[in-house]
Amino acid sequence: MISVPPSERDLHAYVDHQLNDDDRRLVETFLAGNVEMSAQVRAWQQDAQQLRAALSGALQQPANPDLDPALIRQRLKRQSRRHLASAAVLLITVSIGGISGWKAREMTLLSAAAPMADAMQAYRLFAQQGFLPADYRVSDDGDMQGWLDRYFTQAHRLPDLSGAGFKPVSGRLLSTEQGPAAMVVYEDPSGHKVSFYVRPPGPKNFMLPRGSRSDGELQAEYWSGSGYNYAMVSPSDTPAAQMLKQTEQF
Amino acid sequence: MNDIDEQLSEIIPRLRRFAVSLTRNPSSADDLVQSCLERALSSWSDKRPEGDLRAWLFSILYRQFLDAHRRSRRYARMLEFFTGRDDTQPSAERTVIAQSTLQAFDQLSTEQRALLLWVSVEGLSYKEVAEILDVPTGTVMSRLSRARQALRQLSDGEITRPSLRRLK
Repeated sequence: MISVPPSERDLHAYVDHQLNDDDRRLVETFLAGNVEMSAQVRAWQQDAQQLRAALSGALQQPANPDLDPALIRQRLKRQSRRHLASAAVLLITVSIGGISGWKAREMTLLSAAAPMADAMQAYRLFAQQGFLPADYRVSDDGDMQGWLDRYFTQAHRLPDLSGAGFKPVSGRLLSTEQGPAAMVVYEDPSGHKVSFYVRPPGPKNFMLPRGSRSDGELQAEYWSGSGYNYAMVSPSDTPAAQMLKQTEQF
Repeated sequence: MNDIDEQLSEIIPRLRRFAVSLTRNPSSADDLVQSCLERALSSWSDKRPEGDLRAWLFSILYRQFLDAHRRSRRYARMLEFFTGRDDTQPSAERTVIAQSTLQAFDQLSTEQRALLLWVSVEGLSYKEVAEILDVPTGTVMSRLSRARQALRQLSDGEITRPSLRRLK
């Protein structure tokens, strides 16, 4: 309920039909006994009325076909298909790229026994064989963490391996049975490669205790945290592998 | 035509009118409406289901206008730097007695034009306007009051005197 005499704000609210019935009646009673305020309010009302009349013509413009929502929608769809097409080129599946379906099935069966096998497979494909170019490459002032954060917002930070001479050089997006994954490849000046791999734990929410395992010539350190599984992969029996084993925190 | 497009089509004339009142130029107004519709269609999921569609679209269009305006002001300042003058703004000293409410309206600031159009012409609630401008409702009311007074002063002369005389 407004007070009497009404404030200027109440008078504006009256002009704009934003008062409830009781308040509106209060204002009307007040205005009936106050010539000056009544003139003021009427002038405002008249300005509003004039403005409505003056601007009503602008509603009658001939239609502009460029503004048809259906057309705009189609245009947007074409644009996003183009974006999707280019993204699809970048996103390739670990289980399709390089290994047979049967092998992939084996991998799934083994996944509990061989944690983060996909991280090692990705290392073989991309770090060792150089299969397909990277999606993201660090230039001099590149920001690998920024690139990774676009896809894995809450994930652990990229480990700083600069003490051992390793710097992140390239990143790749992958799709796995557990969901989208990213691999960042580090390199040292002599060309040794180490990878950081992150992906969701999968539909079974399979979280890993911190561990380490070898598979062929590769070694993986793996762990879970912030809702993702991680692995650091490097060739076994190299100084880099030793360094990763000894690094307590990633 | 689907349901969303139908709702949009109903509002497009209002968006165009609002855009003209901001840009004062029908063709750049339609460019503005087009980019507003593109934004609206591609971020449809951001719209609160209970919110008023018209208010949401006004708010998108207004922000886009302000962004573009800021960019063009920067550009104008750069031009001014090179050419030594500023052709894009009317002289501050120029005082024009408006011949009509529309001329008076056109001399108001961007925000004042938007406020008066939203409240007086489109009938949006103070609360909806407060959400568009992201300020408290009280602020909307005091800015509206200043806008009304400015419009009053600019259009004084032609329109109001007879009615005031009649009241006395």
